[in-house]
Amino acid sequence: MSIEVTGLNKKFGDFVALDDVNVTIPTGQLTALLGPSGGGKSTLLRIIAGLEKSDTGTVTIEGVDATDLPAQKRNVGFVFQHYAVFKHMTVAKNVAFGLEIRKRPKDEIEHRVQELLKLVHLSQFSHRLPSQLSGGQRQRMALARALAVEPSVLLLDEPFGALDAKVRKELRDWLRRLHDDVHVTTVFVTHDQEEALEVADEIVVINEGRVEQVGTPDQLYDEPANDFVMSFLGEVTHFGGVSLRPHDIELETSPKLAGSVEGTVHRLVRIGFEVRLTVLTVDGDEVAVVVTRAHARALQLREGSTVWLTPAAGATVVPRMAAAV
Amino acid sequence: MADTLVHAVPDPAPVEEHRRAPRVRRTPTTYVLRFVATAYLFLLVAWPVSLVVVNTFDDGFGSIGSLLADPDMVVALQLSAYVAVWSVVINTLFGVGISLLLVRYEFPGKRLLNALLDIPLSVSPIVVGLALVLVYGGRNGWFGPTLAGWGFQVIFSTPGIIMATTFVALPLMIREIVPVLEEVGIEQEQAAESLGASAAQRFWRITLPSIKWGIVYGVVLTLARSLGEFGAVKVVSGNVLGQTRTATLAVEEKYLNFDPQGAYATAFLLAMVSVACIVVVAIIRPKNHA
Repeated sequence: MSIEVTGLNKKFGDFVALDDVNVTIPTGQLTALLGPSGGGKSTLLRIIAGLEKSDTGTVTIEGVDATDLPAQKRNVGFVFQHYAVFKHMTVAKNVAFGLEIRKRPKDEIEHRVQELLKLVHLSQFSHRLPSQLSGGQRQRMALARALAVEPSVLLLDEPFGALDAKVRKELRDWLRRLHDDVHVTTVFVTHDQEEALEVADEIVVINEGRVEQVGTPDQLYDEPANDFVMSFLGEVTHFGGVSLRPHDIELETSPKLAGSVEGTVHRLVRIGFEVRLTVLTVDGDEVAVVVTRAHARALQLREGSTVWLTPAAGATVVPRMAAAV
Repeated sequence: MADTLVHAVPDPAPVEEHRRAPRVRRTPTTYVLRFVATAYLFLLVAWPVSLVVVNTFDDGFGSIGSLLADPDMVVALQLSAYVAVWSVVINTLFGVGISLLLVRYEFPGKRLLNALLDIPLSVSPIVVGLALVLVYGGRNGWFGPTLAGWGFQVIFSTPGIIMATTFVALPLMIREIVPVLEEVGIEQEQAAESLGASAAQRFWRITLPSIKWGIVYGVVLTLARSLGEFGAVKVVSGNVLGQTRTATLAVEEKYLNFDPQGAYATAFLLAMVSVACIVVVAIIRPKNHA
């Protein structure tokens, strides 16, 4: 196992950032730390990198106890949300930095830098200053710089958070394929569940300083451990004492299915191909339901229509927590 | 793996945004404000300073020539330069150190230190001179007799002049570097750290180049201030002709001794050095460091 974190606690003043966190991150995989802002995921990543010190607990990287190692000796690559480019150095010099620190021979450095710039598609920009690059290009340069030292783990802190939606999506796909080529153990922090589901092999959901669940994207989506994980990974509605996805509710205009509950359409909003309904049931629930445009038209749904709701067969269902609304 | 990025790579990098001339609406107020500012600067700065230049060259280069022919005057100019250079060196070293301390570390008494650093700007230089005499005065000073016992004279000697000058110019370097350090932030250093750079490597390769221009401005301001220091130096120097008389003290002396020509010429030389510094920096500084 590449990274092992045990019994990690971290407080900033009174604020508990991490509360007894235990995580194992497998070698060679792309793992996402997913959770809401302020949940502690960045703190965890920075403690793994050695940029922050934990109050208690241990960090082991590739079998070596790194708890008391300074960041410079951990051999991790770190990529920052705001790139942290060396503004006074050219793109090539930025990428060469770690190798120069390690006093590698000049021609080897030059060769490696060219290779990496090609990998991140920045070969023709090698003599530019970072200020002459776009955000996406800067982040690719930062990635090449981190990869140059052949780190045992690559850590990315919201790497695409500062980019606009289109570039963000492009870089996300590209990171996935880069990882398939390079196979370095990679951990990235994100608060975007779509990003995590799409890119990661494994996802660690972190909330309020605790690990809520660890699993593959399918496991998390299909078998969420609790209401929080379920609601964080997609839309959730509450119906008959359970939480489930709005598209996992069958809707009919007559009570055809056993156990269906009667209700009235309170609100109807059409967004592109889907129609979102708010249904008030006779049991007093306010249920969100999503149906396709065609389905809604076939049933001639409008506000005030009477409908019958049933949880779909095979729907992901989690008992509703008292605390969650 | 290149397909999605193929179109992304050649995209024109957003090179420094073109600075469009701001469209200013010219109203009567614009002209009134402009006139007031110009008149203010002219009456307070430009006119008096230009008169110094005019008076210096009343009889061509004669007054400057006779000034440089006076060996005591040459010593005074050399002493001023010597003191200014030491003040710049000391203030640069301590300035960088204290700025790093103020920006990067939290410690008890930080606010107090911050306030203390402004004292040299807010207190009259005469007070600075007197305070130094109280501590280091050779006969009655708090610490002076001990130093004198070791054969080291501070007051009425060059070390005292350097100390007084350094004291007075102390905040200039720090006030230049601190905002630059704050703006640069700590992420570049953390990136360097994770790439294996030691504390010394991070300082020389990352921190120092990032605050380079702050230091350059700090040096210019410190140099100009140190060359021009008068009050504090007057108290601690003793004004011994050919030994502890600096150029600014010479200006006053010449003026009081009914040699205004010599006073103007010396003042002109002092002013020229400061102006030259500012001009040189304006020329060499990169355009994007506006």
